[in-house]
Amino acid sequence: MAEFLAGIEQLALARGLKASFVAYPIVNALHIMAVGALLTSVGLMDFSVLGAFRSLPHAPFVALLRRVALGAFGGAIITGALLFSVKASTYAAMPIFVVKITLILLAGANFLAFTRLTRTSGVAESAGGIAAVLAVISLGLWTCVLFAGRFIGFL
Amino acid sequence: MQLPLNPMQGVVLAAALMFGTAAYAHHGWSWTQDEFFELKGKIAAIYIGNPHATLDVDAQGEVWRVEMAPPARTIAAGFTEEVAKLGDAVTAIGHRSREEAEKRMKAVRIIVGGKRYDVYPDRLPPA
Repeated sequence: MAEFLAGIEQLALARGLKASFVAYPIVNALHIMAVGALLTSVGLMDFSVLGAFRSLPHAPFVALLRRVALGAFGGAIITGALLFSVKASTYAAMPIFVVKITLILLAGANFLAFTRLTRTSGVAESAGGIAAVLAVISLGLWTCVLFAGRFIGFL
Repeated sequence: MQLPLNPMQGVVLAAALMFGTAAYAHHGWSWTQDEFFELKGKIAAIYIGNPHATLDVDAQGEVWRVEMAPPARTIAAGFTEEVAKLGDAVTAIGHRSREEAEKRMKAVRIIVGGKRYDVYPDRLPPA
């Protein structure tokens, strides 16, 4: 594992990013942009499950937000992996980083549970209380992911 | 519909849980003592790169983490991987962590081989 992480740091891309005064801040900014879009779209979907935005047509609203969320998640993964690669062994050894990855996996499991629930019971509103609980969990988890991610730079 | 927490309470609780675990920060100077601190030792590791340039300094068997400026600023001060090597005697002047047990400081000036590298020239101790 240690060798694998050290190997990541030796990749040409990681070495270039470590030394670059332009690329690193740009990747950093793109990561923030992706995370912001992700939390906004996920948050709007969660609030809509909880009964907000009733005046908007539900299906196209959710379809758009889900597309934004998945695209933003992909962007966050790519930019996050780039930032990680610069000091892979350092970050992997940080408890707050492990916490963040665990929270992302939990949020992913929560998303899968939600899609299963709404597939079996139709739309989210009819899924009732369980869907609302999952939406609250989603809001909590993604907010914690954001804070954990920011604290990587401060611990 | 009955919920254990409403969404806002959930967010606030999550925020409280996360902030509760934050003891100190290495960005900025809020985590360091106000008084100046000087560390002498031998260089155990050099990292000049994003997001922060750091030195590991072995001071009588204790390894300290010495944080410097962001890489652009550190290199602008003349401190690069070429000017120092592992085992070189080094003096770091700056501020140590408020946590007394923590072997970590943020340097404003690094002295290696008799040469001064002022990575935070605006924060030097009065001459």
